[in-house]
Amino acid sequence: MISREDIEGLAALSRLKLTDAEIANLQKDISDIVGYVEAVSQVEIPSAVGADGPAHAAASIAPQHRNIMREDVLRTGESAARLAGKEEQVRAAFPTRQGDFNVVRKIIQKDE
Amino acid sequence: METSLAHLSITEAAKKLKVKEITALDLARACLVEIEKRNKSLNAYLEVYTDVEAQAKVADAKRAQNEKEGKASHPLLGIPLALKDNILVEGRVASAASKMLEHYTATYDATVIKKLKDAGAVFLGRTNMDEFALGSTTENSAFGVTRNPHDETRTAGGTSGGSAVAVASGMALGALGTDTGGSVRAPSSFCGVVGLKPTYGAVSRFGLIAAVSSFDQAGPLARTVEDAELLFTTIRGEDALDSTSISETEYPARTAPKKIGVPVSLIAQGLDADVRVRFDAALVQLTKAGIPWEPIELPTLSVALATYYITNFAEVSSNLARFDGIRYGLSQKGETLFDDYATSRAAGFGAETRRRIILGTYVLSAGYYDAFYGKATAAREQLRREFVEIFKKVDIIATPTMPCPATTIGEKSDPLSMYLMDIFTVTANLTGNPALTVPMGTVTRDGKNLPVGMQFTAAHGDESGLFAIGKLLVL
Repeated sequence: MISREDIEGLAALSRLKLTDAEIANLQKDISDIVGYVEAVSQVEIPSAVGADGPAHAAASIAPQHRNIMREDVLRTGESAARLAGKEEQVRAAFPTRQGDFNVVRKIIQKDE
Repeated sequence: METSLAHLSITEAAKKLKVKEITALDLARACLVEIEKRNKSLNAYLEVYTDVEAQAKVADAKRAQNEKEGKASHPLLGIPLALKDNILVEGRVASAASKMLEHYTATYDATVIKKLKDAGAVFLGRTNMDEFALGSTTENSAFGVTRNPHDETRTAGGTSGGSAVAVASGMALGALGTDTGGSVRAPSSFCGVVGLKPTYGAVSRFGLIAAVSSFDQAGPLARTVEDAELLFTTIRGEDALDSTSISETEYPARTAPKKIGVPVSLIAQGLDADVRVRFDAALVQLTKAGIPWEPIELPTLSVALATYYITNFAEVSSNLARFDGIRYGLSQKGETLFDDYATSRAAGFGAETRRRIILGTYVLSAGYYDAFYGKATAAREQLRREFVEIFKKVDIIATPTMPCPATTIGEKSDPLSMYLMDIFTVTANLTGNPALTVPMGTVTRDGKNLPVGMQFTAAHGDESGLFAIGKLLVL
């Protein structure tokens, strides 16, 4: 079974605060689930697939595996119009707002 | 026999609207009456919009205007629809059934919403779902479970459970859901409606709250195959705002389906016996209609579910990293910046969401990445290739949609047993193929007749093949 320390480490990486009871449950659940999905690591994949790493696999056909780039220019036309003028709605969603600013915690501190 | 206008198919309602037998306002009111009667116990809608009648009046005015100008009206003009709570409608709340976004108001319209607004559809409200589309039964909603209209002690299926129940119970004529691993098809099967997961990229994902970006597709839930087809043709299309969207000519057109393939080893185990009986009967019916079946083997199917869940965990953990309590959504303050993040995310995300974030972090960790995510990505590509090859031999792959009818509430409390129910639906999301579920009759549990669905999967881009075969399955 996955250790308590491992779960705490994953929780820290995931930026999640967990209760003691939840950690205990996750130790069991994650061990069960990982035990099941581990089957995939035993699969023999033909060298033509993924031999150069997954990113290169069939880049020509599967849209979801293709890197799609666009020019770094301002949008124009209909798609630009659909996004224009929404600044105030975005600001309205700020958890703590001051004027047009989103108030966040000071993260640079003086050395002590 | 239901006589309320709320139980019409979209196609029937559109005909009546066209000849002025009814108005959009009549239709909207009929749905609101059903909502008033049933939503309290079924919990399909998280919010019913207060301006439904006003929207319907606008639709009626638009129809009158079109007639005056001799213009044809879109068949969806004035049709009342339900929307899953993870689809953005400008100025309205979109919460993904999560405490994290409980008070979040969408800043723009999703592309699918823009297309439906252009058509003149009326939006009734937003429907319940598993939080962030993570689940199989709509039990993971932060706002309570949705109940199955055929037996209220049972689940609606998920994650688009509210949309499926709304369509099944006359609370909407049709609905939009999203499908990440079966989230349109599973609730459609449990509730006895038609549901489509389109080809990956056929429908823009712009304005959907992301779960697993390489799997997610918005799709229709409807009472008939014709209705699902109408909704799909309205929302589909390439979109400059979704770089993974594709044009309608991305894949070569195919002729009408002639042969079905059945992955016999996959359905040999774990399937309820009476669901198998219904499935075999449906195959017989399709054979009589001129589309025979043959057994097929897809070797990598045996690890499809493991492959699916590894990818799901990985993408969920990275997609949900955006919810940090800083820019929008639930925000709680702790002692340090780290605490701000960790307490906001602990308070905002439900148990299953937290579990998947932890699992995703695990499978993406240094030392595990190659064995899990790397292998899963390669297995996924191998499976996709097997699908491309098999569709040179058959036109449609048929399976039951779900291995069982609707589960009872609380039955699948162990997460792994919940995941195993998705065995037939996840493959279409892994490979990007389109898949349709159509009711194939009922099975009996505790004296109640519960619907079960038949799933058809077609070659990439061949939704028309799905609609053609779906229309043949009339039970």
